[in-house]
Amino acid sequence: MLKKCLPWILGLGLSLGLTACGQEGESEVITLRVANWEEYIDEGEWDEEDAYEFSDGTVICPENSIVEDFEEWYYETYGQRVVVEYSTFGTNEELYNQITIGDVYDLVCPSEYMIMKMLREGMLTPYSEAFFDTRKPENYYANGVSPFIAEVYDGLTIDGQKVNQYAAGYMWGTLGLVYNPEEVTAEQASSWKLLLDKDLYRRITVKDSVRDAFFAAASIHFHDEITAREFVNQENYSEALHEYLNRTDQETVDASEEILSAIKRNVYSFETDAGKADMVTGKVVANQQWSGDAVYTMDQAEEDDLELCYSVPEESTNLWFDGWVMLSEGLGEDSRKQQVAEAFVNFVSMPKNVIRNMTYIGYTSVISGGESNLVLEYVEETYGADHEEEEEELVEYDVSYFFGEDKDAVILTTEDQTRRQLYAQYPSQDVVDRSVVMECFDKEGNERMNRMWTNVRCFDLKNWFEILFQ
Amino acid sequence: MKYTFHRKQLAIPYAIFLILFVILPLLVIIFYAFTNDNGQVSFHNFIAFFQSGKTVGTLLYSIVIAVLTTLICLLIAYPTAFLLAKTGMRSGSALLLLFVLPMWINFTLRITALKEILTLIEGNLALHPFANTIICMVYDFLPFMIMPLYNTLTKLDDSYIEAAQDLGAKKSLVFWRVILPLSVPGIVSGVTMVFLPSMTNYVVLDMVYNSTYIMGSLIGSYFSAYDWHNGSVISIILLLIICVITFISNRYAEGEEDSHVNPLKKAEARKG
Repeated sequence: MLKKCLPWILGLGLSLGLTACGQEGESEVITLRVANWEEYIDEGEWDEEDAYEFSDGTVICPENSIVEDFEEWYYETYGQRVVVEYSTFGTNEELYNQITIGDVYDLVCPSEYMIMKMLREGMLTPYSEAFFDTRKPENYYANGVSPFIAEVYDGLTIDGQKVNQYAAGYMWGTLGLVYNPEEVTAEQASSWKLLLDKDLYRRITVKDSVRDAFFAAASIHFHDEITAREFVNQENYSEALHEYLNRTDQETVDASEEILSAIKRNVYSFETDAGKADMVTGKVVANQQWSGDAVYTMDQAEEDDLELCYSVPEESTNLWFDGWVMLSEGLGEDSRKQQVAEAFVNFVSMPKNVIRNMTYIGYTSVISGGESNLVLEYVEETYGADHEEEEEELVEYDVSYFFGEDKDAVILTTEDQTRRQLYAQYPSQDVVDRSVVMECFDKEGNERMNRMWTNVRCFDLKNWFEILFQ
Repeated sequence: MKYTFHRKQLAIPYAIFLILFVILPLLVIIFYAFTNDNGQVSFHNFIAFFQSGKTVGTLLYSIVIAVLTTLICLLIAYPTAFLLAKTGMRSGSALLLLFVLPMWINFTLRITALKEILTLIEGNLALHPFANTIICMVYDFLPFMIMPLYNTLTKLDDSYIEAAQDLGAKKSLVFWRVILPLSVPGIVSGVTMVFLPSMTNYVVLDMVYNSTYIMGSLIGSYFSAYDWHNGSVISIILLLIICVITFISNRYAEGEEDSHVNPLKKAEARKG
């Protein structure tokens, strides 16, 4: 008997010993498991010509990645070694599936609706009070987050829980249309109805995602109501618009299904990633796009001497953001680890790191910089017109809603930038006014939505002739 | 203890593989297909699939794509394989390499290249999504049809053909009555290798801008919406289809073998 049990006892003793060692070892190195979108953080190795130099003497020309710099910075600041295990995901659903299958992370960066879903399912740990203490200068997030973003966050709740207690923003943007001004007029691109435009038959792409496609369809469905003058001028315009575009009742979903089926017959394709390249090569002349990817597309097209524009339709736009949330399963009761996670968020919210990330990714950070003027200066540097050039007409572009009233955030820029990269990165006030956050659907809404999407994408027997003979 | 080796033990590695990666996943799929969210046994998902015109439409659409792909592959592959195997071409195997070579290149890469060529010809690819899907599928799966046909045809004993000719059969009659029936096993394995993958290979559809789902894309869309039950139902339906095809083709292949490959044995069997 004893002989049989001996290996087990030995094994048990050994593993206990090992865990003891592990705990001892932890006081030396803390491992932070981070999951983020692919290509969503600066990886360093900048050329000298890409370097930025600011009026206060700050020079940005990093050699190492943000992650490596964080490990170093944390050791210098807190005297504690940390190792970041950095992994990436391709879609929110992929991340969620990974977590439910059993992958463990401490800090992840999903989009707003996934954050809300995770919050509803009790997967998240709230940020500590110390994290929001604006008296501490090292709280770069709390001190630097844009007043506009802070206000949007403040209004978001799910099941009575406030989203801003659980999520710290990272990047944000709008949903709009990239278009080729030689083929598509600005007026055509000013409405989501563009997707149904017969003149552009099979020359537009739509995102292959239920939420983005549905948003466009619902905007078309409610077009007359939500663009009516009385509606726009009413006092509760924002709330009313929010209510309209967050409807998931059967009637709205059915109407959207019809519109999306018509869109499917009219457009080039539903795409996950090909749209950007197809826009640049000219295969399509307009495409539904997130603002950050729109910037990327316009930059790429510029290299081929093609001028593309970005438009946010008049009906509404989906104000989206990706944010850092801490997972309870990863952190457990480990308050030191939580402190490291919060420090990571603060580190990526440091103005100079914000600029690094924005340059690398092309998306817009939620950080306006607080006391620091670096981010605003960066925007002016990037988009502000050269004052010596007087041939072109210059316009004033006001982004003070984002940078706060106390900063002089009016950028003098060329007229085309109000339709191009600057407009995509920092939309104008009127765009912000008509933006809504599309929340995560409830269970019934979600089922309706998925069924609708399957119906749209499946083979429609009624149109068999049309589909087979193309 | 003396170790004795049994030949049966050679099967252990594969048995482990089979259990871990074939049988267990299959059980999981069956479990999900026949349960609902509350874990109760339910046939609702199956019934719902066949009640919705849209999902049945997609099943039919996938079958149309698969049948067309298989037929075109067969029409192209058979003469090619026949030429390579039977016309005494010295460079037959070198030529075969030319046909099989594309298999070594990743297929998304090949389709990307083909897409550019098609764009040159058609202008706007999105105007002919169905035709493009078939073209790319055929291009993708052709080697899988040529290989088994080539193998069967090279093994075909020339004495049968000679015997038929000696007995006065015309060339066309030799082909229809001798060569074609004898190559049925090759056709069968070619068809099974092409038919089912072309029902599910939705990457091709994505790449040629065909926004209509086939069975494979339907599984993908259910799974990405965490709907394991409906996704599993589709997998089971596909599994049933392949079972039926294999069953029919095996029957057919056996029958053919019986009547043509070895007439003597057949006669013996009858006597016995």
